[in-house]
Amino acid sequence: MTQRASLLQGTLDLLILKALSTGELHGLGVSRRIEQMTGGTFAVQPGSLFPALHRLEESGWLTAEWEASENNRRAKYYKLTKTGRRQLGEATEQWNRVAVAMAKALEA
Amino acid sequence: MAAIIARVASVIRNLTRRSRIDHDLDEELRATVEVLAAEKVRAGHTPDAAHRAALVELGGIETIKEGVRDVRAGAMLDTLAQDVRYGVRLLRRYPLFAMTAALSLAVGIGANTAVFTIGNSLVRFSPVAVSDPDRLVDIGRSFDGLPIGFNPASYPDYLDIRRRTTTLEHVYAHPLFPKDMTVESEAGTEKVVGDVVTTNYFAALGTRALIGRLFLPEESDAQGANPLVVLSHRYWVRSFNADPGIVGQTVRLNRYPVTVVGVAPEGFQGTTVVAVDLWVPMSMVTFVTGSTPGGLEDRRAGWVVMGARLKPGASIEQATADVAGIDRALRSEYPNQSHPQPFRLLPASPMADKMPLAAAALLLLGAIASTVLVIACANVAGLLLARASGRGREMALRLAVGANRSRLIRQLLTETLLLFAIGAVAGIAIARAMTTGLMSLLPVLAVPVHLSLSLDWRVVALACSLAFVAALLSGLAPALHASRADVSTVLKDEGHGASARLRMRSAFVVAQVSLSLVLVFVGGLFTRALQQASSTNAGFDARGVEVASIDASLGRDGDAAGPRVTRELLDRVRHIPGVASASMSRMLPLANEAMGMGLSLPGEVPRPGAPEQTPGSGNIVAPGYFATLRIPISAGRDFTDQDAAGAPLVAIVGEAAARRFWPGEDPIGKQLIVNGGSRPGASIRVVGVAHDVRYRALDFGTVPYVYLPLGQHDTSNLSLIVRSADGRSVAGGVRAAIAGIRAAPQAVSLQSLDDLVAVALTPQRVGAFVAGGLGLVGVLLAAIGIYGVTAYTVSRRTREIAIRTALGAQRGTVVGLVLRQAISLTAIGCAIGLVLGAVAGQVLSMLLVGVSPLDPATLGGAVVLCVVVVLAGSFVPVSRVMKIAASDALRSE
Repeated sequence: MTQRASLLQGTLDLLILKALSTGELHGLGVSRRIEQMTGGTFAVQPGSLFPALHRLEESGWLTAEWEASENNRRAKYYKLTKTGRRQLGEATEQWNRVAVAMAKALEA
Repeated sequence: MAAIIARVASVIRNLTRRSRIDHDLDEELRATVEVLAAEKVRAGHTPDAAHRAALVELGGIETIKEGVRDVRAGAMLDTLAQDVRYGVRLLRRYPLFAMTAALSLAVGIGANTAVFTIGNSLVRFSPVAVSDPDRLVDIGRSFDGLPIGFNPASYPDYLDIRRRTTTLEHVYAHPLFPKDMTVESEAGTEKVVGDVVTTNYFAALGTRALIGRLFLPEESDAQGANPLVVLSHRYWVRSFNADPGIVGQTVRLNRYPVTVVGVAPEGFQGTTVVAVDLWVPMSMVTFVTGSTPGGLEDRRAGWVVMGARLKPGASIEQATADVAGIDRALRSEYPNQSHPQPFRLLPASPMADKMPLAAAALLLLGAIASTVLVIACANVAGLLLARASGRGREMALRLAVGANRSRLIRQLLTETLLLFAIGAVAGIAIARAMTTGLMSLLPVLAVPVHLSLSLDWRVVALACSLAFVAALLSGLAPALHASRADVSTVLKDEGHGASARLRMRSAFVVAQVSLSLVLVFVGGLFTRALQQASSTNAGFDARGVEVASIDASLGRDGDAAGPRVTRELLDRVRHIPGVASASMSRMLPLANEAMGMGLSLPGEVPRPGAPEQTPGSGNIVAPGYFATLRIPISAGRDFTDQDAAGAPLVAIVGEAAARRFWPGEDPIGKQLIVNGGSRPGASIRVVGVAHDVRYRALDFGTVPYVYLPLGQHDTSNLSLIVRSADGRSVAGGVRAAIAGIRAAPQAVSLQSLDDLVAVALTPQRVGAFVAGGLGLVGVLLAAIGIYGVTAYTVSRRTREIAIRTALGAQRGTVVGLVLRQAISLTAIGCAIGLVLGAVAGQVLSMLLVGVSPLDPATLGGAVVLCVVVVLAGSFVPVSRVMKIAASDALRSE
């Protein structure tokens, strides 16, 4: 079992946006993608994932559509909207600033 | 901006398309499970095992759903709407519960709202067409040591204050009570109520005429100077069809011609709640009221109250000090003519002279109304708990499938709030009826009272906040309790949670029983006080006695006519067939009036700092007064016609006065110095001792009482007192007798003394009616509570009872088992109620003259009533016990 870090506040939203930046995914797909992107460090529980997806959808950063899944079943696919993509850019920038600052601070 | 619009749109979408979104979420989660399961099948699981594993991996579906719903915009609104819908559905399913609860709340909220409406309209009374009413003050003599209320001052007092004040302007005066008058005009003859005001009255209030003009400050108050009248808008519309042509015309007021100079603005009634029909200037006072001109010069004759406006920059404290200084100066200038009470100055208020009564009545009503609301809350809390016990399973199930606890509590509270919202709406409706009812409880007052009892936003806000607080109080405990449902025990059976619930319900029933008992007891006490204070117990007998208030100067024959005409009138009245006896007096018993008199013994040296004279009270009466009112004379004699102007001065004293001045001695023949009547400071010989009579319903201690003969003292405003021989009215004969006298006086009203006495007992009657009536409602609610608790016990113990019966237990034993609970709850409730009742009785003892606050008969009666009614509530469920058969044991679970 890999050591799993707890998510920082606001990190989940950024991870979801990043996960969807390469194309549309259904809910489970988002969670798998995040796990894969972070090398298994973050495993998003469905109890947090689905509310977060719906919250981002309410905020207008995601849209959702019913489509056929890989094995021909219907599934709800989420994808980034234009504002979602902009939000991802801004959030990434801010995250990087914070990360650099934190790294500096911790090395000093 | 766009973001806000999008947000609002989303809220609306969520609310309206609620079911579609829910459906969507279900689909999404199902699809996710399928995707997961498909992966596991590929990994080699059987489809069934894969599906199970997928469900496990996903975790609690309900929890996810809750989470998603919560993040949805408008989540709060959403759940609220759902709760309300759910609540309405539940209430409709249990209509009896809903009706009982809402009705009891409506009564509680309604009662509070009604009291508040009256209090609000008094406190927030804003005089119409009066400019800057905050700068107006009322001035009079202080009221027997009470912090509020006025005794009247004399006309010379008024003139002196007006002349000497440095802090007040426009000092005006008018009689303490408005006067009945007769107006003859082209519209016919009509009895009206009029005020007599100094000519600066309207200028002081800053009032302008609607049409014509009002009195001018420069017009003289000298007697006979200005035969003018100003009409009220109401009277002008009522009797003169709002005809502007009335201005300038002459009408006859008490047969005296006066010119109508104008009409006051609509709604104008000075600063008081008394709405008069017209105003005449003080220069008309002897013509329209029959006061003697001497009354205007007599420093001891109190009959006016004053008002004034604070000078710019003057504060009410400065004005109070100013008036107190004038009082001291007058006392040293006129040492023998000083009134026992000092001047008092208060901010102008709508009920200056009746404030103590009004305040007492409102406080009492408020206390009663709050008690009723508490009873109603206890009742609803009990009902909610009963409901909660029925829903324990539902709650446990919902918790088990992942509903969260705060959501359940919120839902239960929403239901309660819904109930209370219904209660509040119904309560406001009831409050209207109750307010009207309360006002109609006030007997026909001698003066027309006009109070606008509007249902303003404050009243509605109060009703709503009462409902909200009550809902929280009575809903929270049951809601917490129900949602604390322990999943495992509740699903198994009713467990110990149920018995805790029963304990709480029992506590509510006990509270209801005890508070209802208090109300019934208080209502009973007031009823007893009414009986006690009724004439027979107040020291006189009003039955069969009629009273005409008459003009004592008796018109235009000059002053000397007074005593001669009163004798002639009495003579005629005594000869009317059906009249047993007749007399006249200045004051009437239980009329809540007092004529202050300073009393002292000749040669008595007052202690330093003590008042020179003992404050007493007195009356001026004609011969036959004691016989007509059946007041026993315990020693000496009644006045006779020989006690006239030239004869030695005589007095009759009450027993309290006799005890005060000559303890252990025979007062007959003793001398007393009386500052009062027409012979101030004269030494007067006591010729008789009469039983004490209650002249005021709210007696604040027995004051020494002195009667002076009418033959030796001038007075105005006499009452003709007539006792009929057979109890039938002799009003017609009395009117004829008065009309038959050459210098005919004005008989302005003719009433039975019982009716007059009724006015004095208003607080007691209101208390008896309201406390008694609401107490009965409370007892009925308590009966419903007992019914609920007992029925619940029976249903829970059906199995036990059936088994006991099957094993041969006597019916009586089984019934006793159930009944014991009802009896013990009632007993505890009554015990607590008795203690609270005793406290309430003590608090109210001031209003309960002549009744012990622990009156055993009342206490016993209240207890019996409560016990019978409340136990009757347990009859139905107990009788159900009788029908339980052994076979029910099998069916009961």
